[in-house]
Amino acid sequence: MTEPRVIRFRLNGEWVQLGVAPNELLINVLRERLHLTGTKYWCGIGECGGCTVLLDGEPVLSCLTLAVDVDGREITTIEGLATGEDDLTPLQRAFIEEGAIQCGFCTPGFILTAQALLRENPNPTEEEIREYVRGNLCRCTGYVNIVRAIKRAASEAAKSRRPGPAAGAASG
Amino acid sequence: MSSSSVLEEIRRAEEFLVVGKGVWRIDALDKVTGRARFTSDFVLKDALHVRLVKSPIPHGRIIEIDAERALGLGPVRVFTAADIPGENQVGYALPDQPLLPADKVRYVGEPVALVAAPDEDLAEKAAELVEVRYEELPAVFDPLEAMERSDVLVHEDRGTNIAEMTRVRKGNVERGFEESDVVVENTYRTGHQEHAPLETEGAVAIPDTQGGVTVIASIQYPHLCQRITARVLGLPHSMVRVIQPYVGGGFGGKDDMGPVVSAMAALVAFKTGKPAVLVYSRRDSFTSTCKRDPSVVRYKTGATRDGRLKAIEVQIILDSGAYANRGPYVLWRATMHAGGPYEVPNAKVDGFLVYTNKVFEGSFRGFGNPQVQFAAESQLDELAERLGMDPLEIRLKNLLRPGSRTITDQLLESSVGIYEAVKLLGEKTGFRAKWREYRRERAGRVRRGIGIACGYHGISTSRGVPDWSNATVILGRDGSVTVETGICEIGQGSWTAHAQIAAEVLGVPVERVKVVGGTSDAPDTGATHASRGSSIGGIGVYVAAKRLRERLAEAAARLLECDPSDVEIREGRAFRRDSPDDYVEWEELVQAAYSMGYEMSATGYFFLPKGKFDMERGLGYAYPAFSYIANVAEVEVDLETGKVRVVRVWPALAAGRILNPVLVEGQIEGAIAQGMGYALTEELKFEDGRMLNPNFTDYLIPTSLDVPEVEAPIYVEDLYEYGPFGAKGVGEMALIPTPAAIMNAVKNATGVRITEIPATPEKVYFHLKEAGVVAGE
Ligand code: FES
Ligand code: FES
Repeated sequence: MTEPRVIRFRLNGEWVQLGVAPNELLINVLRERLHLTGTKYWCGIGECGGCTVLLDGEPVLSCLTLAVDVDGREITTIEGLATGEDDLTPLQRAFIEEGAIQCGFCTPGFILTAQALLRENPNPTEEEIREYVRGNLCRCTGYVNIVRAIKRAASEAAKSRRPGPAAGAASG
Repeated sequence: MSSSSVLEEIRRAEEFLVVGKGVWRIDALDKVTGRARFTSDFVLKDALHVRLVKSPIPHGRIIEIDAERALGLGPVRVFTAADIPGENQVGYALPDQPLLPADKVRYVGEPVALVAAPDEDLAEKAAELVEVRYEELPAVFDPLEAMERSDVLVHEDRGTNIAEMTRVRKGNVERGFEESDVVVENTYRTGHQEHAPLETEGAVAIPDTQGGVTVIASIQYPHLCQRITARVLGLPHSMVRVIQPYVGGGFGGKDDMGPVVSAMAALVAFKTGKPAVLVYSRRDSFTSTCKRDPSVVRYKTGATRDGRLKAIEVQIILDSGAYANRGPYVLWRATMHAGGPYEVPNAKVDGFLVYTNKVFEGSFRGFGNPQVQFAAESQLDELAERLGMDPLEIRLKNLLRPGSRTITDQLLESSVGIYEAVKLLGEKTGFRAKWREYRRERAGRVRRGIGIACGYHGISTSRGVPDWSNATVILGRDGSVTVETGICEIGQGSWTAHAQIAAEVLGVPVERVKVVGGTSDAPDTGATHASRGSSIGGIGVYVAAKRLRERLAEAAARLLECDPSDVEIREGRAFRRDSPDDYVEWEELVQAAYSMGYEMSATGYFFLPKGKFDMERGLGYAYPAFSYIANVAEVEVDLETGKVRVVRVWPALAAGRILNPVLVEGQIEGAIAQGMGYALTEELKFEDGRMLNPNFTDYLIPTSLDVPEVEAPIYVEDLYEYGPFGAKGVGEMALIPTPAAIMNAVKNATGVRITEIPATPEKVYFHLKEAGVVAGE
């Protein structure tokens, strides 16, 4: 057994520090040691996208990421997005409104992946959305409403970015 | 409550505020914020992790289980059949399935022992070190062969590999075929389908202070888990408590596997006095849980020149794998639905459920019906072709209508909306014109085609088996509403539908209602299967809420000084119908009712009246009602690769009242994707009973790039008298006709009939080549 190493990273906005084994996976640190169970595990070999978290804003599979590799960096999990109904992100809200959730097991992975997509490409086409999330599997929804929700979140974000005529309702 | 008075209530309950609208799912907030906890999210200190020791051979006697090396690793415990304190039996329809086999194994992947250790890695290592010595036995894998053999028996004590036989005998098929102008005969084959729920099967068991055990598990029927676990442990039912947390997809499989994993985890907890966590790995979930039964269906159909169906003769062979599990019920359902949603005057159907040395089969969305509808609906197109008709025309000629009789000779008096649904669907899709055009064109490398298929599905349990609904509704002093039910939330939205029903009847906003479901602490409400969760399950909620509403109306009448019949309760206020400004707030009303001495909790029970069924002839009352579906699919077939792309699907549903359009659409879209996977890509490969592709790299479920556009569904609300507000089941429907709709479209595109699914690109290419549509190299 090799020595544990102390790592420090920003998790959902707060610095955490802990000792990890060199072969310890990020998903186990998050779920078992920090009790953040919103990140889901269901294949363990990079086939499903359920374990997606954001590493410095980029989506990564936490089942394939070594904990030591996040030292000094920033991790966002689903728990870091909102605390309740009032501060839901546009994506979370759109997932609810569009019925993009059934069993909900794939939902955290999808929301984080979509968040990264919208950061890279605020106005994606349907094809771009389907292409970007193709590594995230969902067995319940048939993806229809998930794609719709991502589109809706994008267009709502666009509306709030563009203060011009859209906001000035009186002009219509 | 008697059925007739419920009926009256349901009829009266017409002006609804919440039902029929897409309210937010009550579990949505938990699920988008990561707060929703699933079985494996209960991370317990001091818990033992449990791993399976699985059989590497398809058939053999267990000579010895040697755990010495495993135990030498450290704090490890190993459990085998010998450790089971109660009855080692988890069989559902037949008592043929041990929790852990004592004498022989019957499939590769069968769990023979459980290993428990304080951490997962240790448990995993120890499981590898348990040595099991077997005496290998000859095995049988092909159901057609297994039926004929008596020298290789999966279950010796049964004397045959045929686990169950079913039949329907209606009219006189010989005469029916004589009167037919055309007869079409084909054999259809369907493969295994893995449920692939994103969350694998699992259970957490915690010993309680009174010598019993509490189980938190991924299930579809808490009371069944309770019964089986208690049986295995030799405890009274009351000593086992079962709780369903959020479940990451069920699709039927967790109805069957829930009791098994519950009993396994509970065994470890019971024997060690420590909490035990068993979560199947993805590999376990492939190799060691039930699948959709593969089938061979031989189908002969006769019709007159004008396209009227005269007779069908059908033989259905379901491969049950190593155990019968739900197979007898699956087979009965397949048998009774063999005719499709059509009037067929003469029918002869024979079903066989056959044991083989492969992983066992079980419940899966559609429950035997997708297999037979694939055959029935392909047949219909072939028949149309022979008669020079189009697929729409032949269906409209024969579809069931109010007053029709099914192939079990059941009279359908009402709630039969399929004819209208198909008619509307034909118009909306421009089916005829497209079908003719694609058939004429057939040029180029990529061919387009359109196909239609219908389906129907009896709701509730089959053959007059009693069905019931039971729920409790409790009003808190603060006005909050709790609904307790055994119905599980597996992603389909039943709890939301339950909350909507309670809110509707009581007259409060839906946010007030909390549903505590999926627990053995609630009344036994039956299983969450057979598309009965919201439909049958909802009736108990309706009845209980109705009782409370009556009491509240009395209390309100005293406060408002009027007659209870003049009281209206809506949106959290009670008022006199003639002066709405004169009102009492909901909280105030509930508190007043408490102090006036009204009981503020009520149970609702409803026993579903059913008719008689004659098992000998397979005739009579099969189901209280049927839901109906038709799908049109448009596809592109690439002749060079054999790849079929489903471009678009148009569904039409006749399932009574649509309680929540958002949830219903979600069920339809998900079922279409799953049906498409079943039809085209999801193929389990076996070699001598060993599964070759137990992972998502080699077993292909649809991704976001594969699924078709799904158009807004057509709804024909053919209300059902015993459904809450007239609703019937929805969950399974859209999967059922999907494979046939796709294959009928492939035929339209290429002229080639493919009778075997999954129609993987290799298979399609092979058939096209064989038919001379593409030239071989
Ligand atoms: S659990 Fe990480 S990709 Fe599946
Ligand atoms: S909602 Fe169940 S897997 Fe996506």
